[in-house]
Amino acid sequence: MIVIPLHILLPTLFGSILAGVLCSTMGVFVVRLKLAPLGFAMSHAAFAGAALGLAVPVLDPLWMALVFAVVMAFLLGPLADVSRLNMDAVVGAFFPLMMALGLIFLSLAPSSGIGRGALSLLWGSVLGITFSDVIKLAGLAAFLVVLLIALGKGFLAILLDRRLAIASGINARLHHHAILFLTAITVALALQITGGLLVYALMILPASAAFQLVYDIKKIFLLAPALGALAAILGLLLSLGADLPIGSSITVAAAGVFLLAVILSPKRLRRRLREIA
Amino acid sequence: MDAATVALRGVSTIYEGERVPALREISCSIDDRSLVGIVGPNGAGKTTLLEVINGLVRASVGEVAVLGAPVSSTSHRLRREIAYLPQDLFFEATTPFLARDVVLMGCFGRMGVFRFPRRADRDAARDAMTAVGIDALAARPIGRLSGGQQRKVLLARVLARRPRVLLLDEPTTNLDPESKEEVSQLVLRIHGRLGLTTLVVSHEAGLLIDAVERVLTLVRGRLVSDRPQQAASRGATGVATEERL
Repeated sequence: MIVIPLHILLPTLFGSILAGVLCSTMGVFVVRLKLAPLGFAMSHAAFAGAALGLAVPVLDPLWMALVFAVVMAFLLGPLADVSRLNMDAVVGAFFPLMMALGLIFLSLAPSSGIGRGALSLLWGSVLGITFSDVIKLAGLAAFLVVLLIALGKGFLAILLDRRLAIASGINARLHHHAILFLTAITVALALQITGGLLVYALMILPASAAFQLVYDIKKIFLLAPALGALAAILGLLLSLGADLPIGSSITVAAAGVFLLAVILSPKRLRRRLREIA
Repeated sequence: MDAATVALRGVSTIYEGERVPALREISCSIDDRSLVGIVGPNGAGKTTLLEVINGLVRASVGEVAVLGAPVSSTSHRLRREIAYLPQDLFFEATTPFLARDVVLMGCFGRMGVFRFPRRADRDAARDAMTAVGIDALAARPIGRLSGGQQRKVLLARVLARRPRVLLLDEPTTNLDPESKEEVSQLVLRIHGRLGLTTLVVSHEAGLLIDAVERVLTLVRGRLVSDRPQQAASRGATGVATEERL
């Protein structure tokens, strides 16, 4: 068991919880709208951007992660629209490119940037979080809440059925791009905690667990962030207790939450009871 | 364009990558509060005609106007006045929305940004569900309902939304005979109660298509006849025969 001073532990704890809440809230959109490949591509774009930030000392890795993830979000949606290709195909083209760029940038980074910096980009470095990072995440959370309130009705309409939403007078394109934009920002800011390769897990697993447990989208929007926060806390405890990498620990905890939700899902229990009856 | 509720002038539409237009030089006017049937064989352009009217599909040539305003793909505000029930819209079992929320969402188009549903909106949704006879389904997930029940929920949503134009694409297809009858009667009731201008696409005979005042017959994208219901009934039968062949 590692003993950590309070001034390090508190930002770590708050940062992890905020990352869990934000990622899993956006995860509800990602899971329901089947945007998982897109989230995957964004997380790798953020990784490539952060790697560029390490390679070029005047650039800030966090801001570069943000720029790459947002550009990816705004590039993929319209590109899929214009090319009329399946999103999977477009993502399939960009995902390896981002991974390759990330590795190239890391290889170009000054020797001090390789090692700990590269590892933290890949697997996360939650103990490096400062209160300033927590404030950034809290700012994003506030922005997300405001947007969810402002565009919430349109978001719900799209989550029900995009075609019905368009036919009802909802500007589906605007709302869809807003979802992509928010997902990109969330991925970029959470990158430092879980790492580029695992941020995606924190986005998908708690949200998928919430979908296992309830049928009501309003409850899912409350439950998913709660499960995301729980996974982050459990992951942090696991990491500190067993001296494991933080990103991997959070992912394992999130996977555990998802597995439990699948096993305990009332939807399946009801079906099983009906079969027995 | 004239002052009809729905007006099309010389409308032709061709889908990207296709050589044959889905609609060819369609011109017609639909008066306020009229109930119009659109019949024709598969691939005649019936669904395309509905989607051109609400702007989901762009007219390649010609003009489309609804309630006096030109229709385009960005006519979001105008589309709030037009309720459209697509033919193949059925919710999968995992859809995470309750029936009452789907009905309430019918009111969303009229609300501004930052406005949450108020008591009046909730009351409108509840009244709509009562009128359609689906109170008991309010707390059920939409995806767990039968096809007929889902159609009723969507019709309650139309009622809560209070549009001025209603476009229905094969509203009774894939329903059992009892549900077909119930849904048809509901459509007629909603049409009368809200004073809507209603266009119903159907390729099968039944209560709904028998009740329309006027029948537009499409064949291979062309409007081949536009007649009052009784005069059209023989023509509609002819189209049905053609489809079977």
